[in-house]
Amino acid sequence: MEEDGSNSNRRTSGRTRKVASKMVAALASSDNRTQAALARLDALENDNAGFEVVDPNLDDDEASLDDDDQVYMQRKQSKGTKRKTRQAKALEARKAPRTFLELLHDANLESLPPHVPTYWKAAVGPPSSTARRHFCTVCGFSANYTCVRCGVRFCSNRCQNVHNDTRCLKFVA
Amino acid sequence: MSSSTQVVVLDNGGGLIKAGFGGERDPSTILPNCLYKPLTSKKWLHPNPINTPSSSSSSSSSEQDLTSASVRRPIDRGYLINPDLQRDIWSHLFTSILRINPSQSSLLLTQPLFTLPSIQHSLHQLVFEDFNFSSLFVADSPSLVHLYETSQRPNGLLSKAQCSLVVDSGFSFTHASPVFQNFTLNYAVKRIDLGGKALTNYLKELISFRSVNVMDETFIIDDVKENLCFVSVDVDKHLNLARKSGKDNVFKCSYVLPDGVTHTKGFVKYPEQASRYLADGKDDIGDHEEISKQQPQDNRHKVDLTKNEFDLTNERFLVPEMIFRPADLGMNQAGLPECIVRAVNACHPHLHPVLYESIILTGGSTLFPHFAERLEKELRPLVPDDYRVKIATQEDPLLGVWRGGSLLASSPDFDAMCVTKAEYEELANSHKWRLGEKVVGVANATSVQMESY
Repeated sequence: MEEDGSNSNRRTSGRTRKVASKMVAALASSDNRTQAALARLDALENDNAGFEVVDPNLDDDEASLDDDDQVYMQRKQSKGTKRKTRQAKALEARKAPRTFLELLHDANLESLPPHVPTYWKAAVGPPSSTARRHFCTVCGFSANYTCVRCGVRFCSNRCQNVHNDTRCLKFVA
Repeated sequence: MSSSTQVVVLDNGGGLIKAGFGGERDPSTILPNCLYKPLTSKKWLHPNPINTPSSSSSSSSSEQDLTSASVRRPIDRGYLINPDLQRDIWSHLFTSILRINPSQSSLLLTQPLFTLPSIQHSLHQLVFEDFNFSSLFVADSPSLVHLYETSQRPNGLLSKAQCSLVVDSGFSFTHASPVFQNFTLNYAVKRIDLGGKALTNYLKELISFRSVNVMDETFIIDDVKENLCFVSVDVDKHLNLARKSGKDNVFKCSYVLPDGVTHTKGFVKYPEQASRYLADGKDDIGDHEEISKQQPQDNRHKVDLTKNEFDLTNERFLVPEMIFRPADLGMNQAGLPECIVRAVNACHPHLHPVLYESIILTGGSTLFPHFAERLEKELRPLVPDDYRVKIATQEDPLLGVWRGGSLLASSPDFDAMCVTKAEYEELANSHKWRLGEKVVGVANATSVQMESY
């Protein structure tokens, strides 16, 4: 039973971790559009395209499909709970790869004295001019108009129609 | 060279591993630092090494199908997050590609700046406990690039002033790092969180929105980026040019996706058409006519049906553009020119003129055509008038770091700078210990000259 619990715990933890990082961003801004922009930037660092699809692949080393997984779990359980030492649990926890942002959070760089150069201090910081060029999401040229529903940019009536027909509300829903 | 003194130089990048032996000019292998899984396979496979002129072509004989392959990388945002995966890749590298015995070799390993202590710890474990290397030296890439460039030009300003500004735009991020006497001035390093990976993903997003869904095609879009993207020197002008239709549009070009039957790799449809932008659309109307005549006219209409292809126009320069203006993506970060200025301003004022005059570009993302040109154009107005701006591109931006490492590894004091396994074991338990303290030895390497080439 305990084994089961810990397993399911581990299973969900991967997901909650993923969600958690997004929640932090979401909490930082109440604005839907900022959230969408942040999620998009986050997605640019993904290895594989699927926004959440990546997780199952990353989670288990054996790349086993569901059936094998079940068998594997059962075999593991049948060995009895006695062998589940603290060490083994630690090993298992170590196995699940953690994202860099989590490691960064754990490193607690904020606690260092201010003169020590760290990852955070090396970031360039905001640009001196806030002027941001906007490019049309449909055709890529400079865009003067903003979609009133989702905030995405477009440049002309034609592009607006394409936008409304195909991709509007993509992020907000 | 006896096997006991063999030094393995490993530039462990987020995108590519460059690995070889100290003292040689080129790495023996360049390997993508990932595992991939094609649709047809249940297992994660090791990618083939990328062919270098020096490596044998035997490995490329087995064609790999990278279409819609998913990828796992041990490195995220430039830092090692998955040591288990890295161990897998390294053991494949050491046993089947380099064919070395780690316990009889020392390792020179590059490590990104500001690596977190926990990540350093897992790296040390990997090197000493999993692979049993006899000794380890951890170097940071800017100082290696500096070392290599000074050795290339012993009489240049770089070697006389002993300082340079290394701009490393790699797979995971872009750093501007001042180097002084072979030390990276880490308090002055500035970073943009944008590298080749994000650019590829951005291009993927654009293409998927506009023509074909390629969200799963990491490798293909990487190829598209490498072959078709370039940095625009004048964005507004080029945007206007890209608006034109038909033959007048110098930027328009098609890329053919693999069909899985006759070819498993995508390719640029008309390579000469794709390079038309180099003429810059000023005085070359006649030129265009000539080129368009070369293209088989009759092919044009039917190709759409038989092959899966897409056109690129302004995407070609708007993608690398993001390194110069990350704000356009919605990132709250300054672009590369400003990043350089900030890095220089964080140094002692005496260094400013020399740093501006010895900017070295390295890293895969600087391979875009016109990169240096554009950077100079944007940097000039930001730099005080009486300073000269000089931007040098490396001979081979991908290998610059590795070559510096190879040079360092062949220097006579290299052994003295290394941390041996015994030292590691002795100190591993006391958590205060950091490998960085031993790095002081690098100062001696200043005297290393190019004996080997």
